Amino acid sequence: MKVRSFPIFIVCLLMAGLASTASSAGVVWRSHPDAQAMIVAGVVLFMLAAVAGLLAVTVLRSNCRDAAKRLVDQIADGAVERIPVKQSEIRPLANAINDLVDYSNQKVADANLRFKELEIQLKVAHAERQHAEAIIKSISDAVLVTDRFDELVLANESAAKALQFKTEQPRRTPVDQVLSDAKVVDLIREMRQSGSINGRRVVEHTTAVSGVDRTYKVTLSCVADEARSAESNEPAGVVCVLHDMTREKEIAQMKNDFVSHVSHELRTPLASIRAYVEMLVDGEATDEKTRRDFYEIIQSESNRLGRLIDNILSISRIESGLVKVNKQPISLSVVMKDAIEVIAPQAKTKNISIEERVPPAFYQTLADRDMLYQALLNLMSNSVKYTPEGGRLIIETVVDESAKKVVAKITDNGVGIPAKDLPMLFGKFFRVESNNKMASGTGLGLSLVKHIVEGVHQGRVFVTSEEGKGSTFGFELPLV
Amino acid sequence: MSQRTILVADDESHILNVVSLKLRNAGFKVLTANNGQEAYDIATAEHPDLLITDFHMPQLSGIELCKKLKESAATAGIPAIMLTARGYNLEPGDTEQSGINQLISKPFSPRQLLTAVNDVLGIAA
Repeated sequence: MKVRSFPIFIVCLLMAGLASTASSAGVVWRSHPDAQAMIVAGVVLFMLAAVAGLLAVTVLRSNCRDAAKRLVDQIADGAVERIPVKQSEIRPLANAINDLVDYSNQKVADANLRFKELEIQLKVAHAERQHAEAIIKSISDAVLVTDRFDELVLANESAAKALQFKTEQPRRTPVDQVLSDAKVVDLIREMRQSGSINGRRVVEHTTAVSGVDRTYKVTLSCVADEARSAESNEPAGVVCVLHDMTREKEIAQMKNDFVSHVSHELRTPLASIRAYVEMLVDGEATDEKTRRDFYEIIQSESNRLGRLIDNILSISRIESGLVKVNKQPISLSVVMKDAIEVIAPQAKTKNISIEERVPPAFYQTLADRDMLYQALLNLMSNSVKYTPEGGRLIIETVVDESAKKVVAKITDNGVGIPAKDLPMLFGKFFRVESNNKMASGTGLGLSLVKHIVEGVHQGRVFVTSEEGKGSTFGFELPLV
Repeated sequence: MSQRTILVADDESHILNVVSLKLRNAGFKVLTANNGQEAYDIATAEHPDLLITDFHMPQLSGIELCKKLKESAATAGIPAIMLTARGYNLEPGDTEQSGINQLISKPFSPRQLLTAVNDVLGIAA
């Protein structure tokens, strides 16, 4: 029953009581006159009691309404207080409500505490996430993190570059919509489906990046889901790391090729030495002239072996940065004159003339004198070797003050070099096949020049040539 | 028995000379070539009893030379010994397909080479 209909109910009760009493009183009224006064008094008393009762109910109702309103207001304000217990009529109800208030207040306090704890945990988790993201983004390897639905959660710039997608993808985009590399998508999916929480899978994968093949070591591992791992093996996601091995593989291949070349180049003179020594031991050289020829071949092949080893070691030391470089301001002209003095007797045996165009040693360059001397000697020696008898060499230095550089040039009128061979000329162990017969060589001399000029002195080597007409070799170095 | 003819092909003149001398001293007739193409031309013209070839040569490598000789019925039967400083770079199939009977690594012993020549030609030592 609603509280509002309560007074009507009381009035109806009183009317019914009054009607019933009046009916009984009518019988007594007529039969007993003395009782008339008593009946009137009784009716009056009853009416007074009814009014009093009605007043009491109204007050009680008002108190309850006030208490309820206060409670509602307090709940709305978030701070519920106990109801003051004054009226004895509502004490049990008030006590019950107060118990409920106490209980609710305790629960609210607990909830507030838990909320604050969660708030702190969220902040810590957020900070940790930012930290992890910063680490992942700073890694040079490509890193992709996906969730249990194969959606991309996190990816760094390296991943975007390697797999050619934009990092501004909306979070949790399906990975197959982000990556065009189907192989990587399959690897991530397979890893997640395997559910191998503690396992790792490493796969080598080659893909074209901007039209160039690059090889990656792809390492995949599952992220354990602490909340779910108890009941299922399903991982929370997959971490995919792609390490670019292209350069490492190239270096490994270069090392392999270098060792293979070195081995071949060392075996060739060694083969001559061993064969001729055995022939001498076995007495196969029957006359003194043949024996002398054999001795000379053994000597020249031993020298060739020595030069090969020296050149290989020099290049290797320069490449690895182990060589001690002693740079000081020197004149290229002075070093050039020193080298000409050494090469002139060799040129004379072939009746090759040398025209010197070396200006006074005024300009200086910062260089290692011995290395520069070696580079110049190699270039001059090559020109003498590949220039026929009676040829001509022009050796010159040119200073370009505006470009702040000095240029060394050796021009010959020798056999020249086919155009197709020019790009490979400064490579290791490269020899011009058509000129092979003209002179012996290690195939390392020009490579050493390039290492000395470009690797050590930040200069530039150059060559121009025309088959049958001659070549110009040289280099330029910055002036001090 | 008539004098056997051996064709030696190598772009390294010292090796060519020492092998030639060893074989001549052993009683063979020796033909020499400085590159693969020259060796092929001599082989097709002279039909030697044996070819001794270097692996790495200008114009035509030792393997290419042997394969080319196998293509013609007139030269297919010429046995071959290959001298190489790069033996480890050869695939097992290369020597079989090219009909190379023996592979000798540089540096080599002329005595060992002569033994191999006698083996291939079926000459008792």
